[in-house]
This record gives sequence, structure tokens and C-alpha cells, in this order.
Amino acid sequence: MKKARKIAPLFFCLLLGLSAFLAAQNLEQKVNFKKLANGLSVILVERHGAPVFSTVYGFKVGSVDETPGITGTAHLFEHMAFKGTPKIGTSDFEKEKPIMDKINQVGHEWSLELVKGDMADKEKLARLREELTKLEAEQKKYIVKDEIDLIYTNVGGVGLNAGTGTDQTSYIISLPSNQLELYCLMESERMKNTVLREFYIERSVIQEERKQTTEAVPTRMLNEIFMGAAFIAHPYNHPVVGWASDINSVTLEEARAFKSKYYTPNNCVLAIVGDIYPEKAWPLIERYFGGIPRGDDPPVLRTAEPKQIGERRVKIEFEAEPMLVMGFHKPTFPTKEDAAASVLSYVLTSGRTSRMYKDLVQDKQIAISVGAGSGPGSRYPNLMTFSGTPRYPHPVEELETAIMGHIEKVKTEPITERELQKVKNNLEASYIRSMSSNMGLAMTLMRYQLLFGDWKLYLKYKDIIAGITAADVMDFAKNCLTLENRTVAYLVRKAKAS
Amino acid sequence: MNAKKPIQGLIIGAVLIAITLTATAQKHPRELGPAPELKFKLTRPIQFTLGNGIQCFYMEDKELPLISIRGLFRGGSLYEPAEKAGLASLMGTVLRTGGTKKMTGDQINEELEFIAASIESSGGTEYISVSGNSLKKDFGKLVELYSDIIINPEFRQDKIDLARNQTLEGMRRRWDMPYQAAMLLFNEKLFGADTPFGRRATPATVKAVTREDLIAFNQKYFAPNNFYLGIVGDISLEEAKASIEKAFKGWAKKKVALPVIPKLTEKADGTIYYAYKDTPQGNVFMGHLGITQLNPDEFKIEVMNDILGGGGFTARLMKELRSNRGLTYGIYGGVYEGTGKDRGPFQIGSQLKANKFVEALEVIKGIIKDMQANPVTDEEIATAKNSLVNSFVFRFEQKGQILSQFMSLKLNGYPDNYLDTYIDNIRKVTKANIQEVAKKYMSPETMIFVIVGDEKKFDKPLSTFGKVKILDLNKIIAEERGEQK
Repeated sequence: MKKARKIAPLFFCLLLGLSAFLAAQNLEQKVNFKKLANGLSVILVERHGAPVFSTVYGFKVGSVDETPGITGTAHLFEHMAFKGTPKIGTSDFEKEKPIMDKINQVGHEWSLELVKGDMADKEKLARLREELTKLEAEQKKYIVKDEIDLIYTNVGGVGLNAGTGTDQTSYIISLPSNQLELYCLMESERMKNTVLREFYIERSVIQEERKQTTEAVPTRMLNEIFMGAAFIAHPYNHPVVGWASDINSVTLEEARAFKSKYYTPNNCVLAIVGDIYPEKAWPLIERYFGGIPRGDDPPVLRTAEPKQIGERRVKIEFEAEPMLVMGFHKPTFPTKEDAAASVLSYVLTSGRTSRMYKDLVQDKQIAISVGAGSGPGSRYPNLMTFSGTPRYPHPVEELETAIMGHIEKVKTEPITERELQKVKNNLEASYIRSMSSNMGLAMTLMRYQLLFGDWKLYLKYKDIIAGITAADVMDFAKNCLTLENRTVAYLVRKAKAS
Repeated sequence: MNAKKPIQGLIIGAVLIAITLTATAQKHPRELGPAPELKFKLTRPIQFTLGNGIQCFYMEDKELPLISIRGLFRGGSLYEPAEKAGLASLMGTVLRTGGTKKMTGDQINEELEFIAASIESSGGTEYISVSGNSLKKDFGKLVELYSDIIINPEFRQDKIDLARNQTLEGMRRRWDMPYQAAMLLFNEKLFGADTPFGRRATPATVKAVTREDLIAFNQKYFAPNNFYLGIVGDISLEEAKASIEKAFKGWAKKKVALPVIPKLTEKADGTIYYAYKDTPQGNVFMGHLGITQLNPDEFKIEVMNDILGGGGFTARLMKELRSNRGLTYGIYGGVYEGTGKDRGPFQIGSQLKANKFVEALEVIKGIIKDMQANPVTDEEIATAKNSLVNSFVFRFEQKGQILSQFMSLKLNGYPDNYLDTYIDNIRKVTKANIQEVAKKYMSPETMIFVIVGDEKKFDKPLSTFGKVKILDLNKIIAEERGEQK
């Protein structure tokens, strides 16, 4: 939260932190798992190093659950979750409440007028804005500023933050180990009773967040247009932060309605890793989180991406040096195809001995970097992606051709046994390394439980990878990495006016 | 509320039931009783020196079968000649990629990546760092390659060309993002383009570096008596000692002389440097020179920084600019220590809403002045001190982190009891101290500003805020690339 409240989305990182072999049993014994009666899943792992613990809880809701008009709402609500409750963040909720209701009403009217753009009644806009400003000043008398942050900061909490992705929204903090009860109180209160305090000011913050983290950043702008082209129907097609128009106009009521559908204990997983003792932690967790009422099952997403029936090419012009990204539709985790894609990503682009690095970056030097991955999320069928940064004066077209050359080669020649073994060795090591950080482990276990319904899939993934053969990789390349299944996006410098 | 969970023992069961009955009315956190006492013992690495002068730091960590090595040599970009700026960075990169007398860089890549190990080196401002890590079972191999890279680097020409080409492409791209562009320009204006702190490596200086330069630079600073080596992981002290003694055996001491670097002089004169770029926000850095390491006021300054612009949402800058006004996604600032023996910056940086940009600058300046004119509130100082004291344990969360921290304190000349006395030193800071250092180390009227953005989108002309000098970004880029204009 210090500077950025958004954790980098889970793009392109399926390979990292995936499982392996050695310490699997060890971890399996260390994990305490329970599902409370209200449906909240809880994972505890004891690690008695320093007297600290890290926590994350995630709701299975992200930008993929948004519809046109309210894009960015999952993320916006994540910001609002830091604004307090009827207990926290206010000096007198009784007095504050009526002002908030008025803000809600005026803000709604103002937002509806704003949406009209050039057709908006300027006078009305100014009047409503002024009224809103007055009400906000009035409310401020009762606000205890950012009290959630204040309380945690005082007890030595670090890394209070939250992140929204396409698939999930998660909330994190690390605390000294004597603060477990405080944590349970604070977070159960937040889950139950978030108040959408200072909504319209925060909306303005997010407008700036979009400009800072997307509109001023070439890779992000390229990615936005790329996903928009690769997905024509499925909601993976819009950015997590939302379109500017929607961020400018989404109302407090819409945010509240969205939240109530998804922020239920039965749609949530909590993980705590560190210096905790389960026999002491369970009663606290039951006591504080157990009372949150179960909610309805979240709505089911009906829209499926239709089969792509021809190549798509898009381009943006931007004040920056060129780059490219391309993607191929594929099934998601935990399929064999997804595992084959992970292996292939590794063989082609991971490390200095990978094929594309050696050939394109080191030998031909037409690029300064190439990457491959899986994204933008993994709850639904997604893309295997390739990205590249060409080296001047090599044009982006040349890099595209060169990347495709490597992809074609995989379709006709099997990857070698040594390459396959190297992938497996590295997965094994990354699995061990993933257990060296409280927060890293908490986030990984939470994610597998939340998105795929079973944290043990994190361990089982080793079997899936171990079963992948060179023939599987070749089949995957032949079936998925085809021209008609491909979307290519270029970023090129704006042509200078002559 | 649910109480039908398996009960894990009689006493706990009883507590659970009692609590269940009262849990409906949730408390405010302040109504919770005091937290249990936190038991914490400060751990530190074992230090020893080898016969040839290598200063070693060791910590055992048996939790996972992993071992890491961290090595540092004094001698970074501060010590390179101006006309070859970029030399230390290139040397740091090619040290690893260029291979050794025995093995090419590509062979080393193959060996390491197959066993999921890594060795990476890089050249920084003051140090060249060489780090490695592997699974416990491969540590022998790791150490062998690690010492070979340090003692016998070959700097093969093809990898020099690769590193240079990559650097040149990075330079083409370093102006693409407005905030990064503002930072590059700010460093130059703050420290001075004629100092090793403020000058930028350019395509011309990087192209001037030869293989002989890399070798000479390497030989000047790579000596066991200028080497600080840390080992952390699943390995005993005896094994660690034996393996590094063997690996660095026969590597002889030599005299290492670090060039003297002229002292920085304050250049801040209140100028606003403005560079146009077509971008949605106003990007700004402002400030002047800050402090050196080991400043006698460092604890007072640390608390002040936390209140001004360091500690998340409780900091004034964040609270006012983001939380109260919605003018930015993030803002930070403070009086910082330098690298080496000289001063760092006092600086504040942010990306601000364009149509309220000048207003925001005025607010920021007002916040600094207020820190000087008035004492901070009781709540502010309590929060800042509580935060620094109570989060202190996180400096000891991981063994590797403890090791690096001690190495860094040692290298920078901090007293051995620095961390033991840290909490007491923070506790001693008073409101009067904060006002005193706010006046002593910040000068809002002489700060320089570097602004990258589009003035047409701003609420007011920058000239209403101060004396403006225009920087032509296109010209800077064209000159850097050696293009004719």
C-alpha cells in the first residue's frame, strides 16, 4: 500500500511458484485446513522463525466478473475496503451516516450527468460537484482518517495492501505474532461491515492510478489493446483497472451491489503462515470469522469465448520504442495442455540457456528480451502469450518472424530430454524456494484453494508436470500455436507529422 | 455463529463456548486488551576473516535445503572515469556472462541452469555485487563456479558486445516513461552533471569502454582484502569455512586504493525545470541535497521522514494529496542518506492530476513549511515511533535478510551495536527534535523541481509558481543518440 495498492496481477507467472517433488510431503504435513460452517476456507501453516506472521485472504471475484459499464468495480471496491466500517474510521457513525446517505444521492446524480460527456448540463454538473464538496467537508468532521492503516501501523504491521486481478481480489498484511487477535477482529469487521466512505474522492484516486499505471506505461497500454483483441466476448477482454469512462461514472450503489454478490465467506479463502499455533488460532478464527453469514452462491459467468477462426492483428501508436505481444487461446489449469504450455514457456524463454534467449537475444541480438507465459487469468480458458522487445534497428516484424520460427520448430522436432529434465529440476527448486517466505507461501496456497478448490493441487501439479512428455509439448504446439488461433499486437512510435 | 467445530481440548473448548456467547457485538480494536508480550531475540551472523583478508559473514538456516552466497567488492560507478561512464555496470555484467579462463559464459549458464542454481553479478554505485544460490546438494559446484568467476574472469569480447548492445537499447528506451525521465533529469540537476552521482552514462561513454578497461577496472578492485562474503543456509560453520577457504585458496592480497571523490556542492536554487512530454499526468521530483550516512540526527530524521512521506497512509503527503484530495495514486518523500561518503537527496516524487498540478505543488510545499513552523501532533509522533519500534522484528524475518543487513551496516561503518540500540534511539526522539531537523535539513524555498508533462493540461502556468527553465526532451534524446538535428 505504501505507494502502490495493487499487487501485480497474476499474469505470466504460472510457472513461478509451481510445485515439485522434494519437500511436498513436508508441506502437506504442515498445512492445517478447515472449512468453517459459513463456508470460509482457512489454511494455517506454522513456521516458527521470527515472531511474525503473514496473512492473505482472497475473494473469488475480479475484473472477469464485471459487465460493460461497471468495469473496474472489483478493483474500486478493493480500494473502498480500506475506508473503514461503522466502528473503524469514524468518531460518530450516527452523525456521519445521514451525511453519507446524502453524498450517495448527490454523487449518483452527478455521475449520471457526467456520463453524458459533451452533452452534460455544465451548470448542473458544477452545482452538484459543489454540493458534493460541501457534504464531503461536512463528513470529514467525523472521519478518523485511514484508521485501518493507522491501527496496523501502530502495532508494527508491514505491507498492508490489496490486489485485484482478473480472477481474484486479495488483502494482505504481515504482523508481529502477538497481534493475531487484532488481525481477526479487524478483518472480520471489514468483511462484515465495510462502509463506502469517501467514495468519490477514491474514485478520483483511481482515475490517477489508471493514468499512472496504464496510460503512461507502454507495456500496459499494449497489453490492454492486446487482450481486447484476443477476447471478443469473454470478459478477460477488459482491463482490471477498468475503462476510464467507467471509472469516472461508477456509482456507490453499483459498487455496493457488486460487493454484496461476491464478498461472502463461502467465496473466500484465508491463509495465515508464520509464527502461529493452530490450537490457539482456531478458536480466534472461529470466534471472529465464524459469525459472518453465508451468502448466496456468486453468479455464474455464462459467456464463453468463441473459437477463434482467423488471425487478429492490432497496433497502437505511442510515444515509446516498439514492442510486441502475441497470444494463442488454450485451456487453463489443471489440464495437460496448460502444463505443456508451462514446460514450453520454460524451454523457449526462461533463463540464458532457453532457445529464444540464446538465439534472439544473445546470438542474433534482434531483441533485448523475450518472454512467454499464460494469462490474463486462470479461472477460464486463457492464452499462451509471447512478448518481445526488439533491439534497434531491428523492426518489430523481424522479431515476430523469428519468434514464430521457434514456435514452428517445436511442432516438428521434439524438445530434448535434457530440456525437459531442466524444467523439472527448476520446478523442484522453485517449489522449495516458494516455502522460504511466509507471504509467498500464504498467497500460493490461498490461490490454489480459491481458484481451483483445493490447495493440494499446488502439490499435485508436480505429477502433472512429471507426466508431460516431449510428444505432449509437440501436440500442444500443433493444436494451439496456430496462425488462425493467434492475436498479434504491436506498439509502434507515433509517425511524426511531416 | 457457529460453535459446532471439533473441540481441540477441554480448556480451549470452554473458552470457545464462552466467547461464542459474547461475539455478536464486535469491539473496536482499541477495546481489545493489551497484546501478549512479543518474545524476540536479536540474532546476528558470525564473522570471521580468512588468511588472505576475505571478511566473512555466516548464518545457519536449516529450514530448507538451500544455500546462498552474497559477495561485495567496494568499487562501483563512483570510481569510473566520466568519459567511460557505464564501465562499472558493464564490468559487473560481463564478469558473469563473459566466462572464466576455464569455461565460457555459455558453459557456465548450462551448468547452473540445469541444476536450478544461479550466480549473478552487477555493478552498482559503490559496490560490485556477486551473488549465488543453489540447492544444498549442489553447493560444491556453486562455490567452485563462484570463485572461478571472481578470481579468473575472462571478459570475452562477444559478451562485452552483447552487454553493450543491451545497455544501448535500454538507453533508447529510458525516456519512454515520464516518471523515469523526470528522475533521470532530477538526479542530474540535483547532484550536477559533472559529478559521479549526477552524470548519466550515455551511448557515447558506453561505446568508449574497451575490454582492456573492463579488465583494468576489475583488477583494481577485485582483491580478497576488498571482498565481503556472506553465506547463509543449510550448512554448518565448519563446512562453510572449509569450502570457501578451499575455493579462494591462493588468491593473494593486494593494495586497493579507492580514488578520492570530490565533495558534492549544493546546487539547488529554486529553479523549476520543465520538460514537455505528451502524457496524462504531471510528473514531478523536487528537493535538494540530503544527508550522509551516520548523520548524528539520523533517528530524528527517520521519524520525521515517516511522518512526512514514508509511512504509508499515515504520512502527511499521502494523507493530504491522495486520501483527502484524490490528486495522486502515490507520493513519497524524505531526507535520505547517500551512497558512499557523500550526501543523498532530500526529495519528494509523485505523479499528479494534471488539471490540479500547480495546486498540488503548492500543497506539498505547504506541508514542508508546516513541518518547520509547527510541532507534529502527539498522535503523529506516537504512530511513527510505534511503527518503527514494533515493526523492527521484520528486519529479522529471514536469515538472508539478517545477513545482508549486517554486511551492509559493517561496510558502511556503523557501530556494532547499531541494531541493539536502535529501538532506544527511536524512542528518544521528541516533537521538538522533529521540528528541529525539519528546519535544519529541508529548505522549501531553494528546492529545485523537475517536471515532465504537458503544461497545457495544468491548472495554471508553471511561471505562477516560480522561475522556469525549459528542458527540451527531444533534443536531449537526439543528442544522446548522436542524431543530427
